[in-house]
Amino acid sequence: MFGKILIANRGEVALRVIRACKEMGIKTVAIFSQADASSLHVRFADEAICVGKAPSGNSYLNIPNIISAAEIADVEAIHPGYGFLAEDAHFAEICESCQIKFIGPTPENIRMMGDKMLAKETMRKSGLPVIPGSKTVVRTKEDALKTAKTLKYPVILKASAGGGGKGMRVCHNDVRLVSSFLTAQREAEAAFGNSDIYIEKYIEAPRHIEIQILADSYGHVIHLGERDCTIQRRHQKLIEESPSPVLNKKLRKKMGDMAVKGAKAAGYVNAGTIEFLLDKNENFYFMEMNTRIQVEHPVTEMVTGLDLIKEQIKIAAADRLRIKQEEVRFEGSAIECRINAEDPDYNFRPSPGLVSHLNLPGGLGVRVDTHVYQGYEISPYYDSMVAKLIAYGKTRKEAIAVMQRALEEMIVGPIKTTIPFHRQVFSNPAFLRGKYSTDFVEKIFFAK
Amino acid sequence: MNKKKIEEMLELMEKYGLSEINIEEEGVKVHLRKGGQNVETLIQPGMPQIMAAAKQENVPETKEEAKNFIEIKAPMVGTFYAAPAPDAQPYVSVGQSINEGDVLCILEAMKLMNEIKSEVKGKIADILVENGYPVEFGQVLFLVEPK
Repeated sequence: MFGKILIANRGEVALRVIRACKEMGIKTVAIFSQADASSLHVRFADEAICVGKAPSGNSYLNIPNIISAAEIADVEAIHPGYGFLAEDAHFAEICESCQIKFIGPTPENIRMMGDKMLAKETMRKSGLPVIPGSKTVVRTKEDALKTAKTLKYPVILKASAGGGGKGMRVCHNDVRLVSSFLTAQREAEAAFGNSDIYIEKYIEAPRHIEIQILADSYGHVIHLGERDCTIQRRHQKLIEESPSPVLNKKLRKKMGDMAVKGAKAAGYVNAGTIEFLLDKNENFYFMEMNTRIQVEHPVTEMVTGLDLIKEQIKIAAADRLRIKQEEVRFEGSAIECRINAEDPDYNFRPSPGLVSHLNLPGGLGVRVDTHVYQGYEISPYYDSMVAKLIAYGKTRKEAIAVMQRALEEMIVGPIKTTIPFHRQVFSNPAFLRGKYSTDFVEKIFFAK
Repeated sequence: MNKKKIEEMLELMEKYGLSEINIEEEGVKVHLRKGGQNVETLIQPGMPQIMAAAKQENVPETKEEAKNFIEIKAPMVGTFYAAPAPDAQPYVSVGQSINEGDVLCILEAMKLMNEIKSEVKGKIADILVENGYPVEFGQVLFLVEPK
C-alpha cells in the first residue's frame, strides 16, 4: 500500500481523497494555487505545496510544478480527482515515467474513451447497443443529408473531438441540417481545434442512466449499479439518484452486464462510468465512458456501502478487487443535489464571494461533502460547486423527505446558491413521481 | 537549529499568516507563537508541517519588510541548490552585489536544473533557503537591497 499520496486537485474532491487516505493510514500532500492558501484541503493534508498563481493553467493544470511537488514531497502516487488533469492521458503517462502511480485508468484507456467516435466504435464492436449514427466523420453537407435520411429525423450533430455537451445541434429537417452543419463545423474548429462532425439519431426526451464500473489490474470487472442523472441544465448534471426510478431488476442487470462487457473489452482498469441514454421504450444506447471518479460517486457509495476512493487506491496499489458481482448489495435510495454558487433567478450566473453564514444540515440520512466553512471566500477562478448534499433513505420517498428537510436547514449566505432551485425540484409533482426526462429543467423554468 | 532557521520560520509565519508553528528536527523542538492576536480558530488538524497554514488577519511587518527589500521568489516548484555543483562555490553570498541576469541559484525539477536569474540590480541582503531544501511556487528565496 502507498505510504504517501499527492492529490492533484482542490475543493471538495481533494478533501474527499484526503479523508480516504487518512482512514487508510496514508500520508497526504495537497497542492494549491495562491488563491487557495486558506482552503480546507490545504489545512487537512499532512503537507501542502503551493504550485502557482490562481488561474488553473498556472496551478492545477501546471504539470511540471505538480510533478515537481510530487518529487520533492517524495510521494508514491497521485490521485487526480475529477476535472483538471483527471482525464489527461499525457499527465498519466508522465506520472508513469516518473515512477509515480496515477490513481486511475491507464493512459490508453483515457485516450480511447476521449475520442468519442472511437469509444463508440469500440463499444459497438464489443456488442453494446450504440446510438445509430454515422460510422465516420461526415465531411460534406451532401453526406450529412444522406446520413440524416437513413437515420430519419430528428438527428443531432456532434463534434468528434468534443464532449461534455459542447458543440451539439439538434436538427428536425433538411433545411435546418444544412445551415447547422456548416455552423457546427466552424464552432468545433474554434472550440476544439478540430472541425470533425458526426451525426447521430437524436433520442427525444431520454433518460441519462450511467453505470459505475470498478476494475482491478487483473481483469476482474464489476458494476455497482446505476445513477440516474437525467436532471441537467445545459448538459451539466444538477441532481443524481440511485437507484433510477425507471429501472427494474431485469433492466439493471442487462445494462450492468453490458457495461462490464464494454469495460472488459476496453481493458479498463480502476473506477469508471459508462453513460447510456434510455429511451421511452426501455431501449438503451451507449453514449460515452468517463475515465475518472465522478462528482456524483457518493450516491453509489450510500446504496452499496462501498468507499469508491478507497477502492481506487487499492486497485492502484495492485490489490485484487475482492468483491464478486453477486456480493454487491443495493440497499435503499440515495439522491444528491449539487449546490452551486450560482443565482437561479439570473440564469444561474456565478455568485462567488464570502460565505459568512453557513449552516450545514445533519441528522440521519444526510451526508454533506463540502470544502466550504464559515468565513471561507469562494473565489471566481474555479468551478462554482459549494457542496454536494446527499440524502439517503430506505425508499425513494424517504430519501426525498430527508432531502426536503435538509434543504430547509441548509444555509449558505449571503451569496446566491442553487438551494432554492433544488427546493423547487423537490416539490415538483413530476419529479416526485420519478417521471422526468432531460428537458425537465427547461420545462420548470418556462412554466414560471 | 540556528538563528537563521528560526528567522526562516518567522518569515513563513508572516507569509502564510500563521499564528503558531511547531517544528521538531533532529531532536530539537521549536514552538513559536504570535502574542496578542485575534485568532479565528476553526479546526486543529494536528501539527502543521512547515508548508501548511492556518489563516489569520493583519500580521505586523518584520524589520526586513520595513526596509523595503526586494523579494526574489521561486517561479516554480523544485529543490534549491546554492551552487552549480555539490563541491562548487555558491552562486551568491550575503553582501554580494548582483546585476540583472546574474544566476542566483538552481531550482531542480523533474531532473532538470533550472538557473534562476536575477531581474534586479542590488545587494544580497539575505538567503532564505538552505542548500538542498525543497521550495514551493512563490516562496521567497532571496532578499535584495535595491541599488
